[in-house]
Amino acid sequence: MKPVNRRRPRLRGEGVTAALFAAPALAGLLLFVAVPFGLALGLSLTNLRMGSPLQTRFVGWQQYARVLADPTFQRAMLNNALFAAVVVPVQTTLALLLALAVNQRLRGMVVFRALFFMPVVFPMALVALVWELIYAPGPNGPLNALLGLVTFGGVAPQDFLHDRLLALPAIMLMSIWQGVGFQMVVLLAGLQSIPNELYEAAATERAGRWSQFRHVTLPQLRNPLVFTALVTTVLAFRVFDQVQIMTRGGPLDATTTIMFEAVQAVFERQQVAQAAAMTVVFFFLVLMVTLVQRAAVRQEREVA
Amino acid sequence: MRSALFILTAWCAALAACKQEQPQNPAAESVLRLQAWAHAGREAERRVIERQVRAFNRQPLTADIELTLLPEGEYNAQVQAAALADGLPDLLEFDGPFVYNYVWQGHLLPLEDYVSQELRENLLPSIIAQGTYRGRLWSLGQYDSGLALFGHRSMLERIAARIPAGPDTAWTADEFAEVLRRLARQDADGQVLDLKLNYRGEWYTYAFAPVLWSAGAGLIDRPGCRSATGTLNGPAAIAALQRVQAWIGRRGCVDPNVDDYAFVGRRVALSWVGHWEYARYAEACGDDLLLIPLPDFGTGTVTGQGSWNWGLTRRCRDPRAAMRFLEYLLADEQVLEMTRANHAVPATRSAVARSALHREGGALHLYVRQLAEGWARPRPQTPAYPVMTSVFQQAFDDLRHGADVSSVLDRAAAEIDRDIRDNQGYLPQARAEP
Repeated sequence: MKPVNRRRPRLRGEGVTAALFAAPALAGLLLFVAVPFGLALGLSLTNLRMGSPLQTRFVGWQQYARVLADPTFQRAMLNNALFAAVVVPVQTTLALLLALAVNQRLRGMVVFRALFFMPVVFPMALVALVWELIYAPGPNGPLNALLGLVTFGGVAPQDFLHDRLLALPAIMLMSIWQGVGFQMVVLLAGLQSIPNELYEAAATERAGRWSQFRHVTLPQLRNPLVFTALVTTVLAFRVFDQVQIMTRGGPLDATTTIMFEAVQAVFERQQVAQAAAMTVVFFFLVLMVTLVQRAAVRQEREVA
Repeated sequence: MRSALFILTAWCAALAACKQEQPQNPAAESVLRLQAWAHAGREAERRVIERQVRAFNRQPLTADIELTLLPEGEYNAQVQAAALADGLPDLLEFDGPFVYNYVWQGHLLPLEDYVSQELRENLLPSIIAQGTYRGRLWSLGQYDSGLALFGHRSMLERIAARIPAGPDTAWTADEFAEVLRRLARQDADGQVLDLKLNYRGEWYTYAFAPVLWSAGAGLIDRPGCRSATGTLNGPAAIAALQRVQAWIGRRGCVDPNVDDYAFVGRRVALSWVGHWEYARYAEACGDDLLLIPLPDFGTGTVTGQGSWNWGLTRRCRDPRAAMRFLEYLLADEQVLEMTRANHAVPATRSAVARSALHREGGALHLYVRQLAEGWARPRPQTPAYPVMTSVFQQAFDDLRHGADVSSVLDRAAAEIDRDIRDNQGYLPQARAEP
């Protein structure tokens, strides 16, 4: 065979191959993300109602004006922000601590890893039902009984899910419990891929446990940490199942979220256009938060 | 992880659906198979309707029924989605007060041409009232509902409470408050009333709209159904719901009933609930069980009515055959078999007369009196109902948690009125035949 100038043709071929390989994913992205979003954007400018025999009309920004002026929706946005602001740092920190704990080379550690990961496998609906029982009001509710026991009756029994101040923290607590295992596994994988030589080198330089953690573990875990924080943020904004099952947004909108309000609008009141406007607002909020986060903490290139 | 689980579930559901659709009698090709959708209900009800469909199909007729059961949690959403996809069945069951919206949307066929005079006269007036909209009959139910208070006789006798014999001698709201106070004094935790706060969705409207009606208020101005402002947020409505709020509040007497065991476990003396709890309560209490009308908030006791109804959709391929199925369901044997399973009130006078529980002297006769003597009222007969009930449920949930009643009702009324404006008053639509 005669060596020829294959540089350009091969590149073109690669381009086609690349496009072919990317096509299924791109088609999926287009079909299931871009098109529905375009539709939502379009619908949000109309007055479409599911099943209505009336003509659908273009109403401009009216749905947005209504949604943004609605105190319940404002509360939903606030709740989403609060939820993310508490859950993301707490859950990530907790996941890191758990990952460090189960990274010890001790007998039976597999059992603990499995136990901590188990809630992630359970469907949220099931977890929510179980926690509803845990939060049962009255002195016989499991959490109330536990609190009473450890404080020797110093804490009066609470009705967690029907208390304006406690309902959202209660949802946060169960969400963290349910989700922390996933982050733990990601961080555990990160921990185990840190080369042992780094610790040995640090030890020879007489770095203590804390110093090793501070200057070896944390920098090496940077990418997994950024990843888990990002994913947790997006998941935190999507919070819905717990709210739907445990509180239905109550008491007095204390636990309502944007997703919950959108689902209520379309499936309870058939207000498709209004729900579309809510999801568009939601999209831009999440986009903004993600952009800010990306700008603040960049993942290092090698993994990205 | 979760999406994988979802796909798996969806796949299993699809498999199950395919299995259900296997024709039971593949040989009979000339027989028209009419699709019927019904709510899944409790297991006892489900077994009855499935058995009745099987029995109907065994008759040598020109049309069979193919039954699909749907969970009732998001029933209306499923109907709306099917309508959007032009996939409604021939026969559709739905929760009573949604009929007016379905009529407005143009999904139903009027029934009066197919209902015999004999059947019409045999039906309880409440069934006709529920199914009638703008002068035409659109739906029929096999049974109607009953709403009242169940009580432990022994607990009420201990405080020497007067026990109302019928709706005409119902407790006044003040008398009821006094009964609650005296009961609470005898009770360890002071919680003596169960309002089924563990229920969700339609329960709030079904159970507590009667409070408004009894107080001379309502969800919307009747009969025009044009505006909620002034009716839902008027002084009578505010006063009545403030009373209910006071029962529930911190120093109130309502058991939150998280475990749904308050009445059966004798934690409370009174339970504000519908007919569906009779079986469980009767088993737990025996002769100690009493049925008492709801208290009178000013204009006499008023209670709720309405339950699941059948209608024919515009897509129905053979209305006469479909109607034969409804007539079959409304025969005494079928009605009684169903009401023995769910203890609802039989929809026909002849079936009531044959039901030991419901006829004069029966434990549930109060329900029949309420329906037949006009103490029960259908929920607002307007296409705005689905939005109205959603808004009222939210409002009730807010006031249950201590919100200011007046401002909650102001907001709810404004929201209902806005929806009516958005829909240009829900005026009748001229719709071309499909």
